[in-house]
Amino acid sequence: MTITSDMIRGHTDTIILAHLEEQDSYGYQINKSIQERTGYILKDATLYTAFRRLEDVEYITSYWGDGDSGARRRYYTITKKGRQALLEMKKEWQEAKAIIDKLIHMEEGYYE
Amino acid sequence: MNEKLRNYIEFLFEDAPKTKEVIELKEEMLQNLIDKYNDLVSEGKTSEAAYNIATASIGDVNDLIAQLKNRPTYQQGFEKEMLASKKRSALFTSIAVVLYIMSVIPVMLLGEIGTGILGVVIMFILIAIATGLIVYNSMSKPKYLKKDQTVVEEFKEWKANSIEKNALYKSICGAMWSIIVVIYFIISFMTMAWHITWIIFLIGSAIQGIIHAIFELRK
Repeated sequence: MTITSDMIRGHTDTIILAHLEEQDSYGYQINKSIQERTGYILKDATLYTAFRRLEDVEYITSYWGDGDSGARRRYYTITKKGRQALLEMKKEWQEAKAIIDKLIHMEEGYYE
Repeated sequence: MNEKLRNYIEFLFEDAPKTKEVIELKEEMLQNLIDKYNDLVSEGKTSEAAYNIATASIGDVNDLIAQLKNRPTYQQGFEKEMLASKKRSALFTSIAVVLYIMSVIPVMLLGEIGTGILGVVIMFILIAIATGLIVYNSMSKPKYLKKDQTVVEEFKEWKANSIEKNALYKSICGAMWSIIVVIYFIISFMTMAWHITWIIFLIGSAIQGIIHAIFELRK
């Protein structure tokens, strides 16, 4: 599980951008969606550090909005620059996945 | 329970600088923490268990605090904006001055061929445009924004705001007085009633008094 955690944490930016590509969202909603899909939870600190970092490079912007329950929440929106970066990140992940798949299935390939 | 969660967040950010960014971050995190807590309780957790799970999920905020201490982007953006506005301000002022100087040309030229009224009309239009430029220029200057959140910066911002109002007042008055002088000469030459036209200056200072009162009221 530690390896999985590290892998996921290494792709926090991609995961956030992918969520925001679907719709504007806020911290807890993103984390809840990650948990519902995978059972894994990002630490809040990791999530908010990533938000600030993505804001600094202008991949996302934020605004304060009113939630359904009347609570004031900070929502995030993906920018055009962010969408381009996300495409790039997805491509990189596919490449990395293909390479690692090749490398760790070496033995099976050898015996085939 | 919300109070308990708020205290926990306050405790985490005890060492963080008290900047607007940190205050907003705390509010954001608190709201998300409350959401999480409520979800856990509605899943059937006891309030104590929900509190423990929710607070444990925050993790280590030291990196987050360190990151907030050195975010350069806002400051750079502001400096760029200031530079652009200085350039624009210089351009507007020069154009306005050129318009003021050139405004008498149509009067002189058209006066020669006997359509003096048209010349005066054009002159007023030019003066109106120039005045408009000056007023717009001083109103659209960016406010001095705090570079950080210290008291000194707050004082600077307050001072900049009062200077800004002052500058607007000065430019309106300046424009008004030059228009009044022009009106004085035009009416005097047209009516040749020099003995009475000086009253225009009294009207001018009355108008200035009204403008001053408006500014005072706005404060």
